Amino acid sequence: MALIELREVTKRYKVGEQEINALMGINLDIEQGEYAAIIGPSGSGKSTLMHLLGCLDTPTSGTMKIDGIDVSRASENRLAEMRNQKIGFVFQAFNLLNKFNVLQNVELPMIYSSVPAKDRRQRALDAIERVGLSQRIHNTPLQLSGGQMQRVAIARALVNSPRIIFADEPTGNLDSNTGANILEMFRELSRQGSTIVLVTHDNNIANNAPRRIEICDGRIVHDGSSLPASPEIAKP
Amino acid sequence: MNLWLGLLMGFKEIWAHKFRSFLTMLGVILGVASLLSMFSLTAGMARGMREYMTQVGGIEFVGVINQEVPPHQEYLWEISPGRTVADADAISRARALVTYVSPVVDINANVVAGAENFRGEVKGAWPDYMPINKHIVEVGRDLCWLDVETAQRVAVIGRSVVEKLWPETPNYNAVGETIVINQRPFRVVGIFEYYEREEDKRRRELGLQNAASGGGNRRRESNFGRGGPFGRKNMQIIIPLSTAFYEFRSANLVGKEDQGPNHKLDGLVFQVADTSRFHETLDRVTEILKITHRGIEDFGFDTREEWFDRIEQNVKSVRASGGLIAGISLIVGGIGITNIMLASITERIREIGVRRAVGAKGRDIFVQIVVESAVIGFIGGLLGLIASLGVMRILVAISPAENAPVLELNNVLISFSFAVIIGVFSGLYPAWKAARIEPIEALRYG
Repeated sequence: MALIELREVTKRYKVGEQEINALMGINLDIEQGEYAAIIGPSGSGKSTLMHLLGCLDTPTSGTMKIDGIDVSRASENRLAEMRNQKIGFVFQAFNLLNKFNVLQNVELPMIYSSVPAKDRRQRALDAIERVGLSQRIHNTPLQLSGGQMQRVAIARALVNSPRIIFADEPTGNLDSNTGANILEMFRELSRQGSTIVLVTHDNNIANNAPRRIEICDGRIVHDGSSLPASPEIAKP
Repeated sequence: MNLWLGLLMGFKEIWAHKFRSFLTMLGVILGVASLLSMFSLTAGMARGMREYMTQVGGIEFVGVINQEVPPHQEYLWEISPGRTVADADAISRARALVTYVSPVVDINANVVAGAENFRGEVKGAWPDYMPINKHIVEVGRDLCWLDVETAQRVAVIGRSVVEKLWPETPNYNAVGETIVINQRPFRVVGIFEYYEREEDKRRRELGLQNAASGGGNRRRESNFGRGGPFGRKNMQIIIPLSTAFYEFRSANLVGKEDQGPNHKLDGLVFQVADTSRFHETLDRVTEILKITHRGIEDFGFDTREEWFDRIEQNVKSVRASGGLIAGISLIVGGIGITNIMLASITERIREIGVRRAVGAKGRDIFVQIVVESAVIGFIGGLLGLIASLGVMRILVAISPAENAPVLELNNVLISFSFAVIIGVFSGLYPAWKAARIEPIEALRYG
């Protein structure tokens, strides 16, 4: 059984009087240990898809299973538990809490999963070590560079040992060098066995991942190895 | 998320915005300060009144007074002997209900010792008079039954009497001295202690100057003391009842004609043994007195019960109205908290989104906001307690009261917990709003 299973998933929004079909009949399987990129232009529905996969939202119809658990009709609290236990997020804007230091930021997910205080600290330190920031644990995010901030965010995503890591344009706010470093870090995590789903509009970044899922107008138009199929996406 | 972490986060959040938090708390601080000051002022007032009540005999004190005869007995009234020693004897047999009883005669007298003299009131009574009126002998001895049985010319006198008669020697031990009451010599056998309010006593012991009265006299009496129960009590001269009758009542001249001895009493006082059986006791005493008064109801009771009730009632209503006003200011403080918390969640919507994304439930966000505002209430409450000390000083300076405010632990606890409760309640609405924010919306924001 796949780690993520989407069957005929649709998502409709109401914006005022207008109904928007953000996703139309998505079927998708992502296996344990896979490294996949979801690529598509803005408005294609890739963000909506990521919100669904990340348990930030539920589909309008269809079924969605993550790690064997059907979350398509799950309650708000159940979704929060899923996000906490099974999913790690890395955002474009890092989304660290500036008033907390690095250690506290990484500890944050564990606060909501009743990990005892001393384990919390140890696990956070381990995660920070994996991203190579052990020297900066007492700094606040504002004292870090963009790349360092994103590494803190990755440490935070890793700390609860999630089944999947979602990265939403993780290099969008970084210069190309730092971005490359971050992508290297994802590849390394993938080699260590993590399941990673990268969401991007940038072809070069998508090429990092062995599997490529192209989405356009709410449908998957290509799902396979990292070769561009849709000509308009292939354009730089 | 556990509560301890929530508290920690709350403190942190408040510390991060020190000045803003302080302004938010100010409403609570002032509210608690005024609430506690008000409580303390009324507590001081109540204590003063209760002290007064105790000085005049407490609630267990009952006086038998003359009363109009009811209409249906009017033609009979002359057969009643009125209040006599026989009444006291009869009441004293009801020991189960009445602890002490004493007849009283008042003699308007000229009191002389050496070159000093004054006009005052001398009371003839039984030894029981002392405990009924809460008299305490400091030097010498109390009256005793032998004095009464043998009609000794002895007197127990108040401190102020000593000071009047021997003004040159402060704190004079006048026991053994002779004083002349209406041309008859009496030996002083005992002196009462000096009666004063707890507060005056404390002040005197601390050697503090009483702002209300200047001068160098060792004992300065406030306005309350001189005319009030303390002053009157300090001016008392008590002699045996029998002596009073023999010496001053054996002849009753009207014009030039002797009307014979006057057996009537000027007072009859007793102490109820068990105040929870107060009315039962009064009923029994009424039955007894009906027998000695030959069925004529020409007597009534002067009790402190109503007085006591009225004091309690007054204290309660002052407390309630003051508490309401102070409570309103505290609620206004709470509205301030709500307002700031609402602004703060808008400001922190992204933080809420991040917390939700990493697994916080709506409930966790709710608890966080409520705890935060409870912490504001908590700190505000603590600061308010401190501020109340200042507020009380100001209040006392503006209107010097006879009774200093009394800080009572339960009032401190009430004011403080009210602040915390206000904190919790003001956080509820912002917390509910924060908990309902969709994580996606919150993340998209900013």
